[in-house]
Amino acid sequence: MVVGSRARRTRLLVVALVALSLLTITLDYRQGTTGPLEVLGKTALAVIAPLQEAVTKVTNPVANFFSGLAHLPSLQQENRKLKAQLDATRQEMIKTADYETKIQTLEDLLALRESLNPETVAAVVVGSSVSDFEWSITIDKGSSAGVQPGTPVVASTGGNSVPGMTGALVGRVIRVTPYSADVMLIIDPESKVGARVFTSGVLGLVEGRGTGDLQMTQIPANASVRLDDVVSTVWWSYGNLQNRYPPGIVIGRVSRVLQDTGDMDKFVTVRPAVDFSSLEFVLVVKTAGTQ
Amino acid sequence: MRRTVTLIVLVVTALLLQTTVFSRVTLMGAKPQFVYMITVLMAMLEGPSTGAVMGFAGGMAQDFLQNAPKGVTALTLTLLGYMVGLVRQYIVTPSPLLPMVLVALGTFGGIIFYGIVSALIGEMHVGWAYMFKMAFMSGVYNGVLTPLVFPLLKRMTEGIAAPRRVFRW
Repeated sequence: MVVGSRARRTRLLVVALVALSLLTITLDYRQGTTGPLEVLGKTALAVIAPLQEAVTKVTNPVANFFSGLAHLPSLQQENRKLKAQLDATRQEMIKTADYETKIQTLEDLLALRESLNPETVAAVVVGSSVSDFEWSITIDKGSSAGVQPGTPVVASTGGNSVPGMTGALVGRVIRVTPYSADVMLIIDPESKVGARVFTSGVLGLVEGRGTGDLQMTQIPANASVRLDDVVSTVWWSYGNLQNRYPPGIVIGRVSRVLQDTGDMDKFVTVRPAVDFSSLEFVLVVKTAGTQ
Repeated sequence: MRRTVTLIVLVVTALLLQTTVFSRVTLMGAKPQFVYMITVLMAMLEGPSTGAVMGFAGGMAQDFLQNAPKGVTALTLTLLGYMVGLVRQYIVTPSPLLPMVLVALGTFGGIIFYGIVSALIGEMHVGWAYMFKMAFMSGVYNGVLTPLVFPLLKRMTEGIAAPRRVFRW
């Protein structure tokens, strides 16, 4: 009897929770990017971002170590050379290498910052998306530093810079709290960037595909696109709409061109200039992008 | 009160680990899904009611950190917690592998369900092949990490167990 009533209570509880979930989905679906749920989302981000920052600072060496393990095959040769030196100086070397990389990245960012005309805000990456089905990062600068939704985010190209071009495109800010912001990476399937092939001037749209390379669409089948061509952002406007990215920022290089797909468009993929798996520092470009 | 605080700390820790250190330590691109893992383990340890509440709270917290429709993870994990809690009552095996298997299967099934609901509301932006691969890899990753988390969670829940009611017939 008691067991039966407990089971009934549990069922009622589950029905209530499911109803509440469905109500949340409906409200979120209807409200778009404004409304009470978005405020709650921003609050959650504001609460967790400082904690992420603290955890990232502490766990970065650990993450670097395990991340390095994942790329073991390419590191085997280097590892053999290093083995002899690993005894007493092991910890010291890891620290030094980490600092050197950071200094190099920061120097590159500084050079990039000076070369960018619009004002920029330097930020540290403190976390990434909680899900495997969206590609975003959290940075430690928010509206108090002048970061606004829609603003582009760039990084240094890591030594692969192209003359006349400024930095590599990371993505754009999608959510802002006073002291943190979420950035949608250009590899996210919802990301679309107006782009130009540097050498031939062919225009297209670079779309994220999650994992793997980006895809450049809207390229006519007879357009000239070659492997390794640099692809950069381009200025465009259409009616009241205009590009949210400043022109001349490197997106990546053409990694694959399929000439004959039977479609009107050419199939082109672009390898991003940024290594998103090890991104630590970025610059937010304070520019007036509206779309 | 102590129990609520502990469970909140648990969810926040899970989300923190998932978005920081484990975002770079992936298994073929997949992160461990700690909130899924905790939901399954809590349902296993304490039954369908706690499983559903834990799933709803953890799922809602995860939803609000995502740029995805809010409420879908909460719905998924509420049902997952409830179902694992129900199924657990009918499994009598003393095998130490049980938590691993339940977590792996629960995570896989939960992520597929999440994908189906997302697709139904037109918010599925990845292909099904990728979705299945990630669900499988996350399931495996969660299963492998379960032996590290389960004893901790068991000790924690024993320490903060809800006051037991005495039923007289």
